[in-house]
Amino acid sequence: MTLVIENIRKTFDNHVAVEGISLKVQKGEMFGMLGANGAGKTTSFRMILGLLDPTEGNITWDGDRLSYKRTKLIGYLPEERGLFPKLTVKDQLIYLMKLKGMKKPDIIREIRQWLDRFQVPEYENKKIEELSKGNQQKIQFMAAVLHKPEILILDEPFSGLDPVNSDMLKDAVRDLQKAGTTIVFSSHQMRNVEELCEDIIMLKEGKAVLQGNLREIKRSYGMKSISIRADYELAFLRSIPGVMNLDVSKDGAVVKVENERVAEEIFRAISEKGFVRKFEVEEPSLHDIFIDKAGGDKDE
Amino acid sequence: MNNFWTTVSHTAERRIKSKAFVISTLVMGLLIISLMNINTIIDRFSGDGEEERSVIVVVDNTVSEGMFGEVLASFEEGGSFQYTPYSSSNVDSAVEDARNGEHDYVLALEGSFENISAEFFGGGSDFRVAMEVNNDVQRVKESLVTNELDLNEQQMAMIYSPVSFSESPLRENGEVQTQEGHMQAYWMVYGLVFAIYMVVLTFGSMIATEVATEKSSRVMEIIVSSVNPVTQMLGKILGIGAAGLLNLLAIVVAAFIGYTLSGDDFLETFFSETFDISLIIFALVLIILGYFLYGGVAAMLGALVSRAEEVNQAIQPLVFIAIIALFISVIGLNTPDAAFIKVLSYVPFFTPQLLFLRIGMDTIPGWEIVVIMGVLIISAILINILAARIYKGGVLMYGKFSFKTGLKQAFNLGKKEG
Repeated sequence: MTLVIENIRKTFDNHVAVEGISLKVQKGEMFGMLGANGAGKTTSFRMILGLLDPTEGNITWDGDRLSYKRTKLIGYLPEERGLFPKLTVKDQLIYLMKLKGMKKPDIIREIRQWLDRFQVPEYENKKIEELSKGNQQKIQFMAAVLHKPEILILDEPFSGLDPVNSDMLKDAVRDLQKAGTTIVFSSHQMRNVEELCEDIIMLKEGKAVLQGNLREIKRSYGMKSISIRADYELAFLRSIPGVMNLDVSKDGAVVKVENERVAEEIFRAISEKGFVRKFEVEEPSLHDIFIDKAGGDKDE
Repeated sequence: MNNFWTTVSHTAERRIKSKAFVISTLVMGLLIISLMNINTIIDRFSGDGEEERSVIVVVDNTVSEGMFGEVLASFEEGGSFQYTPYSSSNVDSAVEDARNGEHDYVLALEGSFENISAEFFGGGSDFRVAMEVNNDVQRVKESLVTNELDLNEQQMAMIYSPVSFSESPLRENGEVQTQEGHMQAYWMVYGLVFAIYMVVLTFGSMIATEVATEKSSRVMEIIVSSVNPVTQMLGKILGIGAAGLLNLLAIVVAAFIGYTLSGDDFLETFFSETFDISLIIFALVLIILGYFLYGGVAAMLGALVSRAEEVNQAIQPLVFIAIIALFISVIGLNTPDAAFIKVLSYVPFFTPQLLFLRIGMDTIPGWEIVVIMGVLIISAILINILAARIYKGGVLMYGKFSFKTGLKQAFNLGKKEG
């Protein structure tokens, strides 16, 4: 079972929101969708969900188009959180899960299990408006996963959470993946993506600027980062062609270079100068790539 | 289909369980029960005893030598007043006594039988008293004159026997509107026109508010990821309609309780005289069709706004249409034959009121009822299809509310593509 997106395009009036995106997500895979605000992530999600029809292109799951007949296959955590503020946790999950075709006793059993897992069993009969934002988010998450969907779409699942709750949710996501759920998620927090995803797509103004296996992307990504510690002045490195950025601090320097060949050249240049305490070529962080590719977004 | 009923029951249940619904239904019920028993309640508070009847003193200066006053005084027909002959023939002193509160009215009579003139003092605020007194004087005069002329019973009967009067329609199979029939239709039409107005205002804004609330709490996005927005919209309209029907039922039950308590024969008269079962069925059908027509528009308008506070602004056009329909039908009640009523009854938004008005007040041919009903049903369906498309796009749209751009955007968003 595969989620296949083929060359989708979506225009609103004259504005192109998404253009020429294609991707495949295998069953049980965790797929990351990155991009600055307004890059087209939410529009893409809405097209996968069938809330919007693509202007061109196809989206299929297991060979068939996703439609309201197959809505119970999908779980969705929207970026803008939304629940009925006046309803209790139980009442609204019962309603939302009935819409997914679940039976009431099953729903109640699942609610209790998840509330226990999130260590908040006492919330069952509380109204949503009485809960803190982080706890509301747990309920929101439950609304996306209670019916055991095959595809789970998480739009910014960890934003606004404290580290404890964030980890709790992250564990839950990992467990779902292990159980075979196909997960597509977006995040501004690159660390989460690096931790969780194998494959990613990076969007900018509706187009894919980077796509593929995260490790390969990093390895093959030209830009490298070198940290050096030496007993002498390192500022002269700035004059070597191919150095993009030099950041000198008390105990050394971090040099961003265009590719590995430049790194070798730097190594030669400083070994001529004398003893080197540390010389390490690192792959760029996703954060660096993001800023390089998607540009200007400093959410992290 | 499953999701449709889940939405219907969720919507209806939430509404019925809400405090506002329970309280307003209770208050409405109590109000109806107490209104129907208003007489008993007033009696209880105003203490025992019958109301004092007002007294009219008769100053008889006619040629009848006091007969006039005596015959009047012999009238004992449970009216709210009573005649008493005045002791003297001085009108001024009788009026003076009335001013001092010794009696309420003064009736001064003078002249011969050919030319009796009566003057009534104290009519003031209640014109009906003077009217009744005028009738009484006339009747007494007639009986005194016939007495004077010494007519026998046969002659009397000739004078007073009523003319037999009957009506026939010009067209074959036509109907003749009797006064009773007319009044019955008049009040039913009046009632229904108001009912539709209320249904549109209250339930229309309920639908719009509910949609806008789900939008503003952003739960809408989750819901429409599970259920087709069109299904959800229709489910909502039906759910709120069901809650409304329950409300109506509660009112009927309250009316029945009130009736039982009062022991009045009001309902019996109502059922036997003003009740026409076919009119009631027409009324129900038209209310339901009207509800779906207006409800679809209300849901669409609700989907265009982002916040519940903007609902009132958004449904204003709908409210205006309802008000205009109300005005037209109130005018139409008195001129049901007017050409503009005929023409406007074909306009779907006016049909529920005006078609019912024409059925109730006029003799509208059967084929026209079928045609107009057809127009109404088709336009209700079309409006709901259009509303569904705008709804589908509108529920995902956030931002400042504006009719023109909002409608256009939502319409494009709801487009089925690829």
